[in-house]
Amino acid sequence: MPPYKTGLLKRKLSDESKEIEDNNSKSDEDVGLIRGELDAENDSTDSEHDDDDNAASDTERDEILFHDNADSLLSDEANESLAESSDLTDSEGDDESEDAESSDDEDGDSNSDEDKPEKVKETKPTTKAESEDSGAESGTGPTLSGSSDGSKKKKERKVIKKKEFKQKPTKTKAVQKSNDSIDALANKIKETNVTIQPVQEKDEYESGDTSDEEERVNTAGAVPSWWYDEYEHVGYDVEGRRIARPPRRDRIDEFLRKCEDPEFWRTVRDPGTGQDIILSKQDLELIARIREGRVPNPEHDEYQPWVEWFSREVLATPLRAFPEHKRSFLPSREEQRHVSRIVHALKMGWMKTRKQIAEERKKNKEHKFYDLWGSSAGVGEGEGTRGVQRHVPAPRRAPPGHAESYNPPPEYLLDAKEMKEWNKLQQTPWKRKYTFLPQRHGALREVAAYERFTRERFLRCLDLYLAPRAIKMRLTISPEDLVPKLPSPRDLQPFPTTEVLKFTGHTDLVRSIDFDPSGQYVVSGSDDGTVKIWETSSGRCLRTLALGCAVSRVAWTPAAGLSLLAAAAGTRLLLLNPGAGVGAHRVAQRTDDLLADPPPARDVVMDERTAACVQWEAADAAQWARGVRVVVTHFKPLLHLSWHARGDYLAATVEDGGARGVLVHQLSRRRSQLPFRRAPGRLQCAVFHPHRPLLFVATQRVVRVYDLVKQELVRKLLAGAQWISSLALHPAGDNLLVASYDRKCMWFDLELSSKPYQTLRLHGGAVRAVAFHPRYPLFASAGDDRYIVVSHGMVYNDLLQNPLLVPLKQLRAPEPRGELCVLDVRFHPAQPWLLAAAADHSLRLYA
Amino acid sequence: MAVEPTEVQLQVRFVTKQEQYAVSDSPYAIQSNVQSSDLNTLVNALRKETKSSFQKSVEFDFLVCGELLCTTIAEHLQEKGVSTEDTLEIEYLERFPAPTPQECLMHDDWVSAVHTHGNWILSGSYDNSIHIWNTKGQHKLAIPGHTSPVKGVSWVSHNGDQAVFASGSHDQSAMLWVWNVTRNSVDCVLTCRGHDKGVECLAVAADGTRFATGSWDNNICIWSTSLTDEDNVPAKKRSKPEQGNSREPMSTLKGHREAVSAVQWIDYNTILSSSWDHLLKLWDCELGGIKQEIAGNKAFFDADWSPLNNSMITASADRHVRLYDPRSTESIVKTTFTSHTGWVQSVRWSKTRDTLFLSAGYDGQVKLWETRSPRTPLYDLTGHEDKVLCCDWSNPSLLISGSCDNTVRIFKAKHAIESV
Repeated sequence: MPPYKTGLLKRKLSDESKEIEDNNSKSDEDVGLIRGELDAENDSTDSEHDDDDNAASDTERDEILFHDNADSLLSDEANESLAESSDLTDSEGDDESEDAESSDDEDGDSNSDEDKPEKVKETKPTTKAESEDSGAESGTGPTLSGSSDGSKKKKERKVIKKKEFKQKPTKTKAVQKSNDSIDALANKIKETNVTIQPVQEKDEYESGDTSDEEERVNTAGAVPSWWYDEYEHVGYDVEGRRIARPPRRDRIDEFLRKCEDPEFWRTVRDPGTGQDIILSKQDLELIARIREGRVPNPEHDEYQPWVEWFSREVLATPLRAFPEHKRSFLPSREEQRHVSRIVHALKMGWMKTRKQIAEERKKNKEHKFYDLWGSSAGVGEGEGTRGVQRHVPAPRRAPPGHAESYNPPPEYLLDAKEMKEWNKLQQTPWKRKYTFLPQRHGALREVAAYERFTRERFLRCLDLYLAPRAIKMRLTISPEDLVPKLPSPRDLQPFPTTEVLKFTGHTDLVRSIDFDPSGQYVVSGSDDGTVKIWETSSGRCLRTLALGCAVSRVAWTPAAGLSLLAAAAGTRLLLLNPGAGVGAHRVAQRTDDLLADPPPARDVVMDERTAACVQWEAADAAQWARGVRVVVTHFKPLLHLSWHARGDYLAATVEDGGARGVLVHQLSRRRSQLPFRRAPGRLQCAVFHPHRPLLFVATQRVVRVYDLVKQELVRKLLAGAQWISSLALHPAGDNLLVASYDRKCMWFDLELSSKPYQTLRLHGGAVRAVAFHPRYPLFASAGDDRYIVVSHGMVYNDLLQNPLLVPLKQLRAPEPRGELCVLDVRFHPAQPWLLAAAADHSLRLYA
Repeated sequence: MAVEPTEVQLQVRFVTKQEQYAVSDSPYAIQSNVQSSDLNTLVNALRKETKSSFQKSVEFDFLVCGELLCTTIAEHLQEKGVSTEDTLEIEYLERFPAPTPQECLMHDDWVSAVHTHGNWILSGSYDNSIHIWNTKGQHKLAIPGHTSPVKGVSWVSHNGDQAVFASGSHDQSAMLWVWNVTRNSVDCVLTCRGHDKGVECLAVAADGTRFATGSWDNNICIWSTSLTDEDNVPAKKRSKPEQGNSREPMSTLKGHREAVSAVQWIDYNTILSSSWDHLLKLWDCELGGIKQEIAGNKAFFDADWSPLNNSMITASADRHVRLYDPRSTESIVKTTFTSHTGWVQSVRWSKTRDTLFLSAGYDGQVKLWETRSPRTPLYDLTGHEDKVLCCDWSNPSLLISGSCDNTVRIFKAKHAIESV
């Protein structure tokens, strides 16, 4: 017998005597109570409690019961587990019944069922004895109990439950019985009291010898117990002997035992050996502790004083011999990173705390309601304009006029003629003057109801309803925005702004002007047959060269080492040396020396075609004295002259020359060339490119660019003008300005296209002359209107940047004479000054 | 200002730097709409109060806030943005007396250069001749010699009977002449040939030993004025019998990119030149290098430097006369004088007064300026009917200008202040 069993027995015995007394008293009371049968079990138990205050065992039991109750009430699981293990209970029940039978069998003198307590008391020792005999039959309990705590616990609980449930009916039964034989019971109790002693002794005796009991172990292993259902044994012990199946008890036996055995509630059957084990108080405590989730050992102190071994206080004698690792006092970088990542995620809203998630979930679960009658969906601001996003008010009706008055002035009333017309338009009432007939009433109250009121109001409503109304989107672009952003003229200084000097002396129209390369002198050619040379700074005419016929064109040679100017007078091209008073003496002398002797005749080879139109001749003495050095006579009057930048070639354009319209004269060899075989059109002028062998030939509508080396047409620039008047090349050579008689100036970017880059309509009349400044980004155009327009024309070295053209200043030209106003313009080579040949026979210098 | 200018009372105090005209220092309350003429009478009255001996009233000019008063005080202060609350200090100085027109020297052609020394006036003309006049208007001599318009003339020295002068012309030469006063005969001592293009301007150093010419060939040449030929290189001697000896330049200063329009000697070693390439340059003659360069934004037609205030005035085509201070660092143009209506061709400082200068323009006006009055000149010297090409104030009492109307006009400046 295990020690806890002995302990159990001891207590049982010590308690029993008291209990029996209690039972007696109980039964007495119950007699009284039985009248009120309706009293619930609780009441009875309560009454028990009241009575058994003194009884320690009862209080204990109550405690346990209370626990059981609490358990059973709190957790359904316990009930479920009960249901699950019902077969077990059944089997137990069977076992018990068998037990009872077996006991019956074994003890032949088993008493009647009524004397159960007695019998139990009697059988107890026998069973003990039996157990001694056949230890193999029931002795597996303790060993198996260790196998699984949970199952054991369940069983225990279940058992206790059963007890609880069963005890109550027993009580009631007992009460019923007590009616029959209280006396008999009392006797029995006395007997049992008597019989207790030997049991106690037996227990004491057996408690010492427990070694056998412990060895009664079922060696069947973890096999289902039903495997042994058909056998008489339940397994084998260590020696291989069969362990006899304990006697099965049926329900009635169980019930009886429950009624009689006060220890029934703490009796469990060991399924391995089929032995009944009465749990001791320690066991129960143990079970209670386990059930509460506490440490099973009651000695274990859960609330021991905490010894803080690892604290910040430095121990005098450290626990460890080695110094603290660095990582123990450095915050973990990894953790920090992780935390910061989480914090960042929280901050950014990528991650949510549980609380937030819960709130969201809660919010999602909430019902959402539309504000059906609120403002239109999505637009919070448009209060009061539900449905109509952009309300368009209905067009107003015209206010009523005089004719609609009830008492219109007589002129609004229709007279006979108008009335006739009114009637005539009976079929086409919309053609009438009024939609109604103006009528006169003496007072407003005499006005009859307007019979068409309803209909007209309806039509009006229909109009409003059916007429599509839309907001007219007005384009709010101010004209200033469309004008391109141009720099202010103030920032583009210097440019000529005022007239500073007037050169007077000519007696007829000045057709052409030019500066000498240094800008010290000005040459002008006039219709009065003279070429005049002026000093720029003072306007002093230094020299007048009479050429005999109207001078159409003058051009100073661009070569610095020559003092030579070309003048076109009628059909003659005259090369003049302005002479000693003008420019450098040495240069003039050298020029004279150069031109004095004509080159050898073998160099001058001209084909017949050319020779037919040009005739070179040296000047005679009289002409030499007048400054003329070389005379080139053409077949037609000259129109335009232009020097090549190096000063050796001179392109001359003759009027109506056809294919021979452009001639290129070479000065050093005194010969001419006709570059074209076919007439390109009506020629206006021909200009050399500043540094490439290109010749720009302007016909009436088109500017053609010829390569003089390859003798081919390179480009054809479509000016888009009716009649080109003149041409100016940018000093860098990539841009071209074309003036036309139809008031336009066209800027061509030769790199860009053959169409004008920009067409400048700056003039009110024909544009006769354009000029580029050789140094400043300036160009000027002038013509038959009263203004000379100076513009900024910046050409960038960057090919991606288009030229910037900004009109800067309208310079007031002198009064026009007839149709003409300004005939030629030219910029000073170095200063931002502009010289204009005005129609009033003067030259004007603007600075 | 909300208050009518007429109603404002001003506290003024009169101060002067001219001691002989000093009045008491006490402040006076005057109406703000007074003009300089009213102030004039006031100051004269004050003078009489202080000393009864001053009987002759003197014309004064009044400087308010460093600028000459031309309008009423109220307008002047408004323009200057000065409060009328404070006591105003008005400095007064004797007004420069109005120059009186004197003679009109008739020439045959445009007068392009003029210079005076003492009583003698030298003028160069576009008809290639040089003329000598005296201040009375008598024509002494017409000197042909140049073959092109004479652009610069200058007296070099007067030594009793003998006077030396130099002339520069567009015929690319400068000539040195000796004029015998008593015999009234002139002799071309030297012809200076070194320029490739016309000589535009000419200036003689203060000590009279050298002169500089500026030319259209962008160079400045420095020549010796010594009449003898000792420093000439004999090998390169190129004498022409009718024009005497020829001379090479002592040195040539190259650096301008356009025509040199004016040269002037600042001291023994330094030359100021102005050019059409928008630059003023100060040259070191000895080294032949540039000491300082002042860039303008317009072509300069003339420049003049005054030893009295060490600043320069320039003439350019945009109507403005500009005052340059070569010592200032940031804005070099100190003042811009605007009153001409066109091209300004010539400017000259007064030799005696550091605040006065003369300018001549193509609008036919010669103007006498006070540096403290940039808007309004002191006097317009009218009389020319055409472009004025040159002006001169070498003789402090004579304001001379030559013009395209073939005249030289002389204005006499009465020198009221002898002390200065």
